[in-house]
Formats: sequence, structure tokens, C-alpha cells
Amino acid sequence: MTTLLEEQVQAKVDLPLLANIHQAVELDEYYVMGHRTCAGCGPALSYRLACKAAGPNSIFLGPTGCMYVANTSYLCVPWAVPWMHTQITDAGAVVSGISAAYEARIRKGKYKGTFPNIYVFAGDGGSSDIGIQAASAMMYRDHDAIFICYDNECYSNTGIQTSAQTPYGAWTTFTPPGPKIPEAKKLFPKDFARGMIALHPAMQYAAAASISYPVDYMNKVRKAANIHGAALVHVHAICPKGWGLRANQVLLCGKLAVETGTFHLFEYENGEYTYQYQPKAFKPVTEYLKIQDRFAHLKPEHHQKIQEFINQGLKRCGIKIPVEAV
Amino acid sequence: MANEDVKVGRQAEEDKGALGDSRPGTIKFLTGLGAAAHALRMADIDVASSYPIRPYTGVMMMLSMMAARGELDLEFVHGEGEHGQLGIAHGASSAGARAMTGSSGVGVVYAMEVYSPISGGRCPVQMVIADRTLDPPGDFGSEHTDALSTRDQGWMLGWAHTPQEVFDNTLMYYRIGEDPRVYLPQMNCQDGYFISHIPQRVVVPTQEEVNSFLPPLEFPDALDPLNPLGHGPQIFPGQGHVLEATRVNAMMGTFPVIDEVVNDFNKRFGTSYDPFVEQYKCSDAEYVIFISGGHAFTGKFAVDHMREKGMKIGLVRTRWVRPWPTDYLADILSKFKAIGVVETNNSFGAARQCGILTLEVATTLYQCDNKPVLTAFMAGLGGEVIRLDEFYYMGDVLKDAAAKGSTERTAYWIGFHNV
Repeated sequence: MTTLLEEQVQAKVDLPLLANIHQAVELDEYYVMGHRTCAGCGPALSYRLACKAAGPNSIFLGPTGCMYVANTSYLCVPWAVPWMHTQITDAGAVVSGISAAYEARIRKGKYKGTFPNIYVFAGDGGSSDIGIQAASAMMYRDHDAIFICYDNECYSNTGIQTSAQTPYGAWTTFTPPGPKIPEAKKLFPKDFARGMIALHPAMQYAAAASISYPVDYMNKVRKAANIHGAALVHVHAICPKGWGLRANQVLLCGKLAVETGTFHLFEYENGEYTYQYQPKAFKPVTEYLKIQDRFAHLKPEHHQKIQEFINQGLKRCGIKIPVEAV
Repeated sequence: MANEDVKVGRQAEEDKGALGDSRPGTIKFLTGLGAAAHALRMADIDVASSYPIRPYTGVMMMLSMMAARGELDLEFVHGEGEHGQLGIAHGASSAGARAMTGSSGVGVVYAMEVYSPISGGRCPVQMVIADRTLDPPGDFGSEHTDALSTRDQGWMLGWAHTPQEVFDNTLMYYRIGEDPRVYLPQMNCQDGYFISHIPQRVVVPTQEEVNSFLPPLEFPDALDPLNPLGHGPQIFPGQGHVLEATRVNAMMGTFPVIDEVVNDFNKRFGTSYDPFVEQYKCSDAEYVIFISGGHAFTGKFAVDHMREKGMKIGLVRTRWVRPWPTDYLADILSKFKAIGVVETNNSFGAARQCGILTLEVATTLYQCDNKPVLTAFMAGLGGEVIRLDEFYYMGDVLKDAAAKGSTERTAYWIGFHNV
């Protein structure tokens, strides 16, 4: 009897899409025991789901970040597939090299298997901040690889510092609130996934997903893997420690991010955006903000400013369901 | 602006008929970069990562042309900068490909973060470096400070002094770096312009000869779903010194491999390289110029001329800076009365106000019973030519030092103290 790996290495077949959570649960685990992440860690869950979706004919790259430091101990890593550390700066470059190596080695008869699915699993810093140059170059060159940005909206591993994805008004250890700066962080975050799509017209597939919608997320990972060329998945991965949440609030918080229009679930395919969450009405952002300690210092005027930012974002997406500012 | 690089391209164009030729011992007229490109073609590299910066760019132009013509089956990946270039080479090598990249000057140091992960990952990447000054100011000339700045990052590091030696080193470095006893990346350095852009006669062996000298890379820990491994996890307290020790041992373990590989190369290709250190007219010399890189070419002429005048001078050229051949150099250098180190680099505020090589030479001699007088010649800075009359001046200083047993200065600045 041949194993799933042997089947996949002998002849490359597209990863089938999942119909429901039961099919997802039945998939084998390739992100396993041996890590040291916090209780309720959103990025760890996003890793586990991505590895289940990816299957055994995969290589994962981990630039420095939580999912490097909290996952690996020398001689003990929690992956049942090949994994490699990269610098936080250059995951896009290293994955390009691996992809190019497989292209050359298979073409020259130096490797006998099929082309593996090669994933970068980078935090928001390693994607949208210090890592953006290499990430952009990988997408520009259209290497056959998948770039997953697990977005916990801060540098959590180093002690909750602001990144380019940290939202306006959030407390971090680099943006503490005080009498002179009552709102804590003053800048609005980058729109990473859409920015990358705009920069790279050759990109065939990109998606934004959330750990609170696991089947949607895993299917987006599989679609990204099935593309021949560079693909991007931006996954919202809540950090309970950095955001001031209890472990059992993590998935609720992820849902509220989507239900308030703070984080959009979308797919970009064949030059078109589709939005997976379009309710009759979005909830006011206050419901999302009030459960997180990182926003506890905000005044009503700050909530209003955030609501206006969200409304503008929805408008830009063509989602015509504005929410009254509270 | 790009005249020099265009010439290299044109040079390649003129070589069209000879590209891919397999005439035994074909003689070509090649620049240092041309020599590197032909050797890389014959080494059947799998992945090259490029980014333009003078003067090394020509090697990438030639490789891209070879790939376009189908003379080399190559993944030519254009990096987003030197940092990305090294990342691409790191990934390619980790996935089992024979990978190369290259750079010059500020490009070499822009990639600084990635050198140690590559050597610590034991990835046998080769980097072609044509030296260039660091900024400021903007200057295209050759200074070795760029590549020497990486000397503590775990890469093998050596200089050629002719295009022929560049060609030969390219093959020898891969064979040494890919040896299962070693697995280390290599910096294959040549002086910008003096070597990289001045064509000389280069004997190019047949593809069969190269194949028998340099077998395909077999990297046992390549990233491969059929053999899942983790590369580069975090360590705990108590593990760091062990890992550092294995890296040092890998570097120190290169000595017998270098010896074996260079001797095998000499046997196969009829060359006469010393594995570590070239000694030119040193057998009865009382004082010597110590040098690394392309200025040795002029230095040898100068030694010839000074010998004609009866001076007992020689020239010692190290072929390696990492690993530093301490024992070999201690044996060679301790028998002289005076040594002058030609520094085509700068280390601002270093001991003795000298450059980087003098520090290594002084440390090498520290344990020797006979300690020659040691001084430095800060020469060729800003990429200046080191002229024959400047070598004569160095010879006079050394002759005087050998007679007196001392020198006036720990470092002589050529262009100031000799005028």
C-alpha cells in the first residue's frame, strides 16, 4: 500500500477542496506536539490548520517570529514535514531559492519526485514590515510557492511591539498610552494583502482568511497551493497575550473582527475580488474593541475614528453596508 | 556609465564561437569575471542569484547570456538586492542545488546578516566577489575591506591574482566546500578592475576533465519531503558553545581537504599551486612583501627588478584569509628579518594603525622564536594602482628594517610617506 506522501511525490495532483469541518478534522496532522506556544495561541492554530491543508508533499519556511521561537527547540521541531528557518528579513528570498532549486533539479534530472508545495509562514513583521522587500520580490518573480502571512498585529515574540499591521489605538510596549498620546498607536495599519495584489499584476491568487473560519481558511491554503506561481494567504491570527484576551475568547475575537468589518475575508482570483462575509449589517466596532485589553484606554472619539476607518475600508471594497459611527 | 560592464558583455560576444567548445585545453582571452563565468558554466551550477553593482556584474551578464543561449541549464534569479541574493542562494543550496551569487563593495556588506546563517547551515554556496571600496565616497576602485568585513561570518575566503587563478579557484573552491568533511560556503575573491576587467590568457580544460575533478553535489540534508528534516531551530542554554565548536572544527578541518584538492588539481591540470601560500623568490630572501590578491602581479615584477639590483627581497602571497593558514605562515614568515604587509584595506583605529592582514600576521608570529620586524603598507586605497616605484619604496623600507632591526612606523601610507 502506498502512502499519501508516495502518491503525491510520484504524481502531482491538485489538493481537493474541503466541503465541511468533518473532512478537515479527518486530515492528518503535520504540525504536531513539541512546541511551546501560549494557551489559545492564534498563530499556532493557523499553523496547524495550514499544515493539515498542505499535506505531506510540503516544505515550510519559518522566518524569525513567534512561530520560530515558540515552535522550535534544538533537535525538537513540531513539524512532520521539512522545515527551515530563515531570517525575519528574507523569507521571500529563501523560498525563491528553494523553488528555483527544485525547478532546476527536476529539469536536469537531479531530483526524482514531483515539485513540492513550498510555504512561507511569516508573521506580520516578516511579511509587511521588515520582510516586505523579499516578499514582494518573490511575488514579482512569480516563484511557485505560497506566502502565508499569519497576522497577529504586532511583534509578539519580542514582547508585544508595534508592527506595520498593528491597528490605530492599540497598546503595545512601543506605543503605550499616556496623557500626551491618549490613543496609544497613532498610525493606521498597512493594507498588506491588497497592497501586494496591486503591486504584482501577475499574481494569480491571493486571499484573506481567519482562524475563526477554519474550512474557508484551509480551502484558501489549498487553492493557493494548487496555483502554479506565487500565491498569498493573509490569515488573521489572534494573539491572546498581546491583545489582552483569555484563551477562550480567541475564536470569538476573530469572528468579531470579521463581523465588524475590521478584517475582510476575501479571495482575489482572475483579477476579481470576492468577499466571503457580506451580512445584512456589520456590527459596530465597539463590540470588537471592548473585549480586548489593548484598546481599554480608548475614549469614545477614538472608537469613532476607528469606525470611520472601517467604514472607509468597506466602501473601498464596494461593500455598501456602512455602520453608523457610535 | 556602464562602459566597463558592457565591455565584459562584448568580450563574451566575441567569445561566441568558443563558448561551449570542448577543445582540450582551449586557450581563451578572458577577464577575471569571464574566467569565473566559464568555470561556473563548466561546474554546471543550478541556481544563480543576481543584482547589479560594479564591478562584479559582468559575471552575471555572462551567465545570463549562457543561459539564454542554452549553454548552461540555469535558474537565473534576479534578486531584490544583495541581501535577497544571499537569501536565494541560501534557499537553493538548502534544497540541494549547486548555487552561486556574487557582489562588490557596499553590496557585499548589505548582505551581512545572511552570511552566518548560510555558513552555520553548512550550505556550500559560492560567491564571486570583485572587490570595491565601501562608501563614502562613491568610488569604483578595488579595496579588500568589503570581503574582509565578512571574515568572521564562517565563510572560506581567498583571493586570486590572475584570471587563470580565478578560473581554477572557482572549481577548487566548489570541490573543497562541497566535500562531506567540510560543507562550507566560499568567497571567491578577485580585485575589481585589476583582475575582474583586464583580460589575460586563460587555459580552459575540457568538460570531461572538469567533470572528473568536480562531481555533482550530493547534499545529504537537503530539504526534501521524502526525508523531512528541520534546518536551524532555536537552541537552549548549554548548546551554543557546542554548535560554535562544530563550526570552528569544520573550518579548521578544511586544511587537509584544501591540501588534497589543490594537489589533485595540480596533478590533473598540470598546474603548480601551493595549496595555501605562494612564495616568490623567497628561498634566500631576507625580507619580504606579504600580500593577498591582484597587486601581487605587479609586486612580482617589482621583486624581479629589485633582485636585479642585488636586494634580497621576496614576495609571500597568501591564497587564503579564511581559514588563515597559521602554521604554514609561521614556518614561512618566521625565517625572515623583516616583513611588510601590503594592506589593500582599512581598519580604522586598529592596533598599530594598520589594516586587517597585519593583525593576522602579527598574531601568527607571536608564538615564533624569531620575530621579524613587522610593518604595514597602506597601499592601493581607493582602488589606486600600486605602482612599481611604490613597491621599490616598500623594498627600501624593508631593506633598512632588516639592517636596523626596526622601522620608523608601524604603518606607512603609500602616497604620503613615500613622497
